[in-house]
Amino acid sequence: MDLRGHLENLNNALRALFALLMGVVTVWSFQVPDAVGFQRPELARIFFWHFPCPLLLTGLLFVGSYFSFRHLVRVQGFRVESETDNRERQLWDIRAVAALELGFVFCVLTMITGILFSLVQWGVWWQWDPRQTSFLLAMLVYGAYFALRTAFTDPEKRAANSAAYMLAAVLPLIFLIFVYPRLPQVEQASFHPTQSIMKGQIKGAYAQVVSAVIILTTILSVWLYRLRVRAGTLELLAEDYGQLETHGGHPAPTGVVRPVSLSDPH
Amino acid sequence: MSSGWKAEILAVYRKELQTELRSKSGLVTAGLFSFVTVVTISLVLFNKNVNAPGSGLQDISAGLVWVVILFASILNLPRTFLLEEEQGTADLLRLFARPHAVYWGKVLFNILQVLGTATLVSVLFLGFTGTRVSVPWIYVVSLIGGSCSMAGAVTLCGAIVAQAANRAALAGAIAVPLLLPLVQLGVTGMRAAFGSGLVGGGQAAAVGLVAYAAIMLAIGPWIYAAIWKT
Repeated sequence: MDLRGHLENLNNALRALFALLMGVVTVWSFQVPDAVGFQRPELARIFFWHFPCPLLLTGLLFVGSYFSFRHLVRVQGFRVESETDNRERQLWDIRAVAALELGFVFCVLTMITGILFSLVQWGVWWQWDPRQTSFLLAMLVYGAYFALRTAFTDPEKRAANSAAYMLAAVLPLIFLIFVYPRLPQVEQASFHPTQSIMKGQIKGAYAQVVSAVIILTTILSVWLYRLRVRAGTLELLAEDYGQLETHGGHPAPTGVVRPVSLSDPH
Repeated sequence: MSSGWKAEILAVYRKELQTELRSKSGLVTAGLFSFVTVVTISLVLFNKNVNAPGSGLQDISAGLVWVVILFASILNLPRTFLLEEEQGTADLLRLFARPHAVYWGKVLFNILQVLGTATLVSVLFLGFTGTRVSVPWIYVVSLIGGSCSMAGAVTLCGAIVAQAANRAALAGAIAVPLLLPLVQLGVTGMRAAFGSGLVGGGQAAAVGLVAYAAIMLAIGPWIYAAIWKT
């Protein structure tokens, strides 16, 4: 078996190990004792899967914004724009879209798990809690970003304008996620805790399960991100068949157009 | 600022002003929208004492003022860039002016437009509903800071969607998520100005609006310059 075959086997083993760990952590999350001080203590376990989602969506948001920035820096023409630079710009756009798409998925998961938690613990599914509201508005920004992308047919304009929008949105998003829920009047009116980790309110087995879920979902995110970037890169290569790399990593020969008869000879 | 930059910015500003004064379309639309919405709100609040402590109407009034200013801005401000594409003058502008000058010229014109709209809305609203302003300086600073922030953000959104399909509707759709945090700050400031919220909170909100405006106006030209030639 060649090196490629060994790597493929290793990859499969890692995937199996990841699935196993995910299962173990899920079972473990049901084994820890019920949390105290909740309306429905047994359902407070939603927290294990809710908590990593906003962390990841926030991280991916800033990663996506950074990739958008890298895309725009080239557009500004700080250096000579050769074909390599164009390709590099396209790659930054693919990375930005991959990170932001994944961030949007985690934003939706944050909303769903947050609504479930609110329903079982506070009795209402939506109450304009500052945290709920700030992530709803973050979801609107994500939605606007993807709506903007659909409005351009030219890939270069689509990439540059959506990157510009993402950079313009960074400031309101920082306000929504970090500042608004911590404003004194807002914080007082909210059921949602904002400093659970900093104040050391998550302890013992709960802290261990949450940490494990954060690590596993982060690994899952990185894996999904890499898959999405690979798919985007392949799409890019497929658009330009002449530059499609062969198995050995060399450019394929220019495609030969073979004449095809339109009439049926029989 | 060198005289070259100043001349370019003023040239773009004068162009916008003359174009608007020729057609008056934006001024009439924003003015009519503000008037109609304030009259509607006043009808809803008819025979109610909006200054009564604990009635909650001061909070609602603060929200209504900002909603009117928000939608009047979204209707009007993106036009500065959208019209360039619709009339086919965008390429000419790219030939004659630098991107920072174009953005600043247009944003200055838009700041004046929003300030005009905000003043009109304030005069009509306070006059029709009889709302009393307890802390006038917070009211004025919130209005000026909010207007500059809105002008900066909506002008940039107009530039971003200028070459997109369905650009007019899209400009509003992508601008609203960026403007909601500043509407929140504006409402907090105005509640304090109406005597409903804490004065300290109102001061912080007013300062926040000015900071938001400064950051948005500082990054706006750079972002615009990045998409200028695409």
